[in-house]
Amino acid sequence: MQTHPPSEFLERLRQALETGKLPLAVFSDPMLYALEKERIFARTWVFLAHESEIPHPGDFVLRYIADDGFIVTRGDDGGVHVLFNACRHRGRQVCRAERGHATRFTCPYHGWTYKNTGELVGVPHQKAIYGEAGLHRAQWGLLSAPRVERWREWIFANLDSQAPPLDAFLGGMQWYLDFYTNKSAAGLEVVGAPQRWVVQANWKLGTDNFIGDDYHVAITHRSAMDSGLLPVPNPDFLFDAVQVMAGPGGGAFARMPYTLLGYPEAMVEAFKRNLTPAQARLVEQGLFLGNGALFPNLSFLNAPASLQPGGPMTPFFTLRVWRPLGPERTEVWSWFLVEKDAPPSFKEASYRAYLLSFGSSGMLEQDDTENWMSITQAARGYVARELYLNYQMGLEHLQPLPDWPGPGTAFALGYTECNQRAFWQTWLRYLTEEQCETTER
Amino acid sequence: MGIQVSDSIYREICEFLYLEAELLDTGRFREWLALLTDDVRYHMPVRVTRERGAGTECVDTMAHFDEDRRTLEVRIRRLETGSAWAEDPPSRTRHFVSNVRVQPGQRDEEVMVQSNLLLYRNRGDAPQADLLSAVRQDVLRRVNGNWRLASRTIVLDQSTVATLNLAVLL
Repeated sequence: MQTHPPSEFLERLRQALETGKLPLAVFSDPMLYALEKERIFARTWVFLAHESEIPHPGDFVLRYIADDGFIVTRGDDGGVHVLFNACRHRGRQVCRAERGHATRFTCPYHGWTYKNTGELVGVPHQKAIYGEAGLHRAQWGLLSAPRVERWREWIFANLDSQAPPLDAFLGGMQWYLDFYTNKSAAGLEVVGAPQRWVVQANWKLGTDNFIGDDYHVAITHRSAMDSGLLPVPNPDFLFDAVQVMAGPGGGAFARMPYTLLGYPEAMVEAFKRNLTPAQARLVEQGLFLGNGALFPNLSFLNAPASLQPGGPMTPFFTLRVWRPLGPERTEVWSWFLVEKDAPPSFKEASYRAYLLSFGSSGMLEQDDTENWMSITQAARGYVARELYLNYQMGLEHLQPLPDWPGPGTAFALGYTECNQRAFWQTWLRYLTEEQCETTER
Repeated sequence: MGIQVSDSIYREICEFLYLEAELLDTGRFREWLALLTDDVRYHMPVRVTRERGAGTECVDTMAHFDEDRRTLEVRIRRLETGSAWAEDPPSRTRHFVSNVRVQPGQRDEEVMVQSNLLLYRNRGDAPQADLLSAVRQDVLRRVNGNWRLASRTIVLDQSTVATLNLAVLL
């Protein structure tokens, strides 16, 4: 049985992508999925947790890279550790909770015990059964993720010990992530725990949407506007957004001042001070970074909602991971974050704006997941292998902004698919190339 | 003091819960909204797996739903817009309500009600369905002789929610 897609299929994909086309089957093909797990999820940086989720020594959360479970701990040494959740003796998962506080993890099978740094510290009857020199405990600690690095307080891991550093991977995208993280010098904190739910859809649809699909908003999310939840003057308010792509990510700056979003004036002033002058000028020009995504499966959203239909807007920020569970199954992890030092009333309103709009019950998110489930169903059959989807928006006529101050490439049009094409090109490079460095764009 | 629970009150409470289920299953959301008090709180906390010794699994600062009457009304207004794609065509839902226990409430004219809920949800022509199981802790208040829902906490028997969205009410 064939487990990987034939190379001629990948070659056809590459040629199609150059002309802005992709076969619908990419959202369902099990052979592509097998290759993605091997070539993407085992080789690239995947977001696991935010440091505010594990503030104290002993705190831990359980996280995943595709099928592989990791305990992300704040060790008693104060450091962040990402430990594969399997006892080195027989493979039993040593961490049984999704989050908590523990100085040690003891395997319930035979009692091997590990510190929250991963070190093996207890083996019942060790000397009697392995002999005085028979077991070198230092060699049998919990397996650490081959690479663990942080951007600010965001914890990423990589299963490839040879992968380029996170900093090089993120490249110019870091300049844009500042717009999400720098509204206060105190930084962001995760509130509570991420919501988790399962959608019968391919994981790539999440990134494909968040990285640059401003075109869907007026149609997919029409009900949010009609019900007063998102009281924008015009459903096509993202038409003239500025799309940017840099490194392995991209996003869109909407033309709406941060104050209109509902950020208190003092926060916007502090925000500008926490940015470089070039970044702050974009804020002054009334641009705000709304949706964005980072290859392969992390997405961001800074957006407003009205708690009183048609009333003033309140902004929120969410991080989400599209964890692949199979070619047609994705577990969504959705975190709500807010500035640590924001006034309690702002935090409360922002939390409610998030719950109403995004997350498991969010009224905008609901219609997104419905689209993705539907596409995945259509992608399942024979026809999808030869049915090419149109990814040609902006392919021929759109020129980058010549004087854009940030890294990467920017386009003065929200309704374009440059970012999606860039995402798919990165995807294809990972699938087909042995060495996959992120290209600086 | 809350109301003492007689047989007839118990029957009224069960009737209320069954009516509510019927209204939600038949898409009569405005009528359902009319069964809520003005100060209703509708809450479904996020749940995470914890060891037995950790006590509650519910996260007190993050929820799937944390609603008041106004936000519930927005959710229903959205369903009426004609472009709420997640529920158009609508899910086929069935709210099975059981294990109803009623106790005197902590305030005048109130009772505390616990019930089990099994929500069956089926969409499109897929033969399989999503099943959500939960316990609901409600406060019902008698307003001008009619029972109204004043508070509901839904504790789902899942940490990872097994449905593509919570476009349905529990």
